[in-house]
Amino acid sequence: MNSNAVRAVLGAGVVIVAVVLLIVLSNDNSDGSGNTTKGVTTIVIKHGKPVGGIAQLTYDKDEEVRFKVDSDVSDEVHMHGYDIAKDVEAGGSVSFAFPATIEGVFEAELEGRKEQILELTVNP
Amino acid sequence: MSFLLPVAHALVARKDLPVPAWLFAWAASIVLIVSFFALSVGWRTPRFEQDRWRPLAGGLWRVLISLPAQIVYGLVSVFLLGFAIYAGLNGTEAPDRNFSLTFLYVTVWLGFPVLSVFLGDVFRAFNPWRAVGRAFGGAFTALAGQRPTHLRYPEWLGRWPAAIGLLAVVWLEIVYGASGGVAVGLEPHAVGLAALFYSIYTLAMMALFGVEQWCRTGEIFSVYFGMFSRLGCFAVENGRLGVRRALAGATTWATVPGSAAVVIASIASTSFDGAQDGAFKNALETTFNHLVDAGIGLTSAFRLTDTIFMLLTFAGVALVYLIGVRGMAGVPGAPSFAKLRSGFAHTLIPIAFAYLVAHYFSLFVFQEQAQFTYLLSDPLGTGTTNLFGTASSGIDFHALSANAIWYVQVGSLVIGHVIGLTLAHDRATAYWGDYRQASRSQYWMLAVMVAFTCFGLYLLSVANG
Repeated sequence: MNSNAVRAVLGAGVVIVAVVLLIVLSNDNSDGSGNTTKGVTTIVIKHGKPVGGIAQLTYDKDEEVRFKVDSDVSDEVHMHGYDIAKDVEAGGSVSFAFPATIEGVFEAELEGRKEQILELTVNP
Repeated sequence: MSFLLPVAHALVARKDLPVPAWLFAWAASIVLIVSFFALSVGWRTPRFEQDRWRPLAGGLWRVLISLPAQIVYGLVSVFLLGFAIYAGLNGTEAPDRNFSLTFLYVTVWLGFPVLSVFLGDVFRAFNPWRAVGRAFGGAFTALAGQRPTHLRYPEWLGRWPAAIGLLAVVWLEIVYGASGGVAVGLEPHAVGLAALFYSIYTLAMMALFGVEQWCRTGEIFSVYFGMFSRLGCFAVENGRLGVRRALAGATTWATVPGSAAVVIASIASTSFDGAQDGAFKNALETTFNHLVDAGIGLTSAFRLTDTIFMLLTFAGVALVYLIGVRGMAGVPGAPSFAKLRSGFAHTLIPIAFAYLVAHYFSLFVFQEQAQFTYLLSDPLGTGTTNLFGTASSGIDFHALSANAIWYVQVGSLVIGHVIGLTLAHDRATAYWGDYRQASRSQYWMLAVMVAFTCFGLYLLSVANG
């Protein structure tokens, strides 16, 4: 086979790989849409840590983010990025409700303890 | 026993969304098609081996690099370094409220590569240690009546001190800094101390080997930022500012030993930073738990895990490059393996730059808002100063949409890939007189570039944590 033929074969191979990749991955709907969080999520804080690990909430842009924090310690709950901070008393609870206007991945922390309690994902 | 790893992100309260699958697929497909197309349309004589530098006429250019101007740049840079150290040592321990961390790790560390590509080696003018070194050298010459004498710098050592130093700078931020087990990273006090120690070390090395010699090969920031400046068209030669053919400056960069290690360290450290919350997360956690089970303390286990993986990433990137070089060495008419190894190292500079843009573009845009608002007005983060009336301003996270970030990320990787291929093809035509053999050798570099670009895309597409 001369070198032009080798190139033609290789080129065809690359195009086929590319097309297959495109089709396979395009059908794999893994961009997170359709998997948004519904209702009000309650995050329970025990001994200053979130029960069941860091809560995961996912919304599409402009949906209403709603969650509640029940805490056995007194601290400030800080929703980073959106920069919303609310105090919570030991044994008390605090509610958050705000529109998801900023795209990205954000965290909420118990600010005094630097303990992450929530990861908020906002898809476009 | 199982622990969750503390998540390392020092500053910004927002992380990028992973690049969606459809965009990943499109970008990867374009990379493959462009790469193959590049092979068939290649030019036959080298175009970038001569830089065709010519001086810029006009008084303004001369004033810009005149001695008085250099003294001003030096004073500004020494003041800023001194202030960053002061803020680090005396300011708040909250990383996001202290001037030092953002200034050194975002404004300088991420800003100068961009400045260097577009404006030339500006760090050379704004290098505080070079300014102090030159001032001491000048004073010594005036007092002693002779120029200071220096040790001969060992040629084999080349840029290795800078390569190792580059890994150390990144290690301090993303390994050491994240070890506190808290969601905020490196403490400003540690940054201040590190900058102080680095200043002492650098000035000592300059005294030993000479200011210019150390800046050429050993001083981390000079070598690292200088590397990126080779892609651009502005350059100072023989004390005059001029322009050269874009990319041509890169072709002579890797002639010093250890240069390949510098560019590989850059790609590896960016990759590791991008992978630790995503692609490497499970492997990191497994290793971490093994180490903890073996009786190592939490902080040490964390640091050890990250250090091992950072070094493995360096080894992996180096291996991919060396396999490509090994392959090229088998093509008839090839120069020696050693010559090929250094001869193609510069083709990775655009890839390293693309990785930087892809991984840090959004962080830079957001954190620079902090740099020029509250960090400027209240640099120590005490809440008691408001120098410019902007202490209460914050970061507007609406400034970039997720889509804008994705396109910049993917676009930079694709453009970096094309430029890397261009440089590699050009070098091949210089090394192989025969055009066919040159093309054959480039199947290997093409595979290397596709591997790096697709790995970069993959890192962006894996969910962060």
